[in-house]
Amino acid sequence: MVNKKAQMKIQQMSFMLIGVMLFFGLVALFLVSFKSSELKQTVGDILEENALLLVSKLAESPEFSCGGSFDSYAGSCIDLDKVMALKNSISKYNGFWGVSNIEIRRIYPSSLEVLCDLSNYPDCNRIQLLSQENTGTGVSNFVALCRKQAIGNNFENKCEVGKLIITYEQP
Amino acid sequence: MNRKAQEEMVGFGIIIVIVMIILMVFIGISVKSNNSSQIQSYEVNSFIQSFLQYSSSCKDYFGELNVQDLIYLCNLNKECLDETNSCEILNSTLKEINSASWKVSNESIYKGYNLRISSGDKIIFQTSDGQITNNYRSGIQKLPPKHGEMIDVLFNVYS
Repeated sequence: MVNKKAQMKIQQMSFMLIGVMLFFGLVALFLVSFKSSELKQTVGDILEENALLLVSKLAESPEFSCGGSFDSYAGSCIDLDKVMALKNSISKYNGFWGVSNIEIRRIYPSSLEVLCDLSNYPDCNRIQLLSQENTGTGVSNFVALCRKQAIGNNFENKCEVGKLIITYEQP
Repeated sequence: MNRKAQEEMVGFGIIIVIVMIILMVFIGISVKSNNSSQIQSYEVNSFIQSFLQYSSSCKDYFGELNVQDLIYLCNLNKECLDETNSCEILNSTLKEINSASWKVSNESIYKGYNLRISSGDKIIFQTSDGQITNNYRSGIQKLPPKHGEMIDVLFNVYS
């Protein structure tokens, strides 16, 4: 009788342990799936941030950035006059930035799409550097597009809103 | 025998309830922190920096004022050189820049935006378009005070 009671107790205990283990296992599974989805979101954010940082790095490079030419040392500013000069000697920069194409597009004031060259600058809204085609992964970021504008005998600063778009081949 | 079994069942139930409460608190905290934190975005911060440099149609004796200087002028309720209202120019310029830069619609990844420029409790300018959702990216730029308090430029993009 005592043996039977003890056996029952052991059986009860083992069922209880199995139940508890199953319950904690399910809870752990739920937590792991919750954390892994959070991790995926973080990875996506980091990849996006890195791509945008690549655009920012390019915008801050001496070949593009405004520097102190437009009164203040504000970031995200591209000197369009410099870029047009760079466009003429862009063949020397092939592979320098590790991107397949660089495009600068004016967003505001908006106008019909006109590709820039030395004959129509600044009455245009799109500058293509390196290549005429956009192949690969493209990322863009907002930039101020600044240039010097002749007003009579003087030069005035003129800044507009645009986007710097880079295209690169994914490894 | 029956009573002991009942007690054990109650104990098991209590353990389950405690674990569930802990789980609910944990999930609640993580969901709440996701919703309330503003995700700082490089894109939004770059957008703020870009439009602050935009040369507006408001002029002073030195030439066209950029949006940052136009905000200062509007905050002081001063007029442009041609006696036009600086706040009206700020209003129209920023609305046009926003609508040209962020194409919001149900089909777009951007569902809406909200731009707020304020100095302390005073709202200098505010505009929004589209829908406000829980998933948003935010950028803030603090402009140093010329007179009075610091000016905050806050931009949220909802997706």
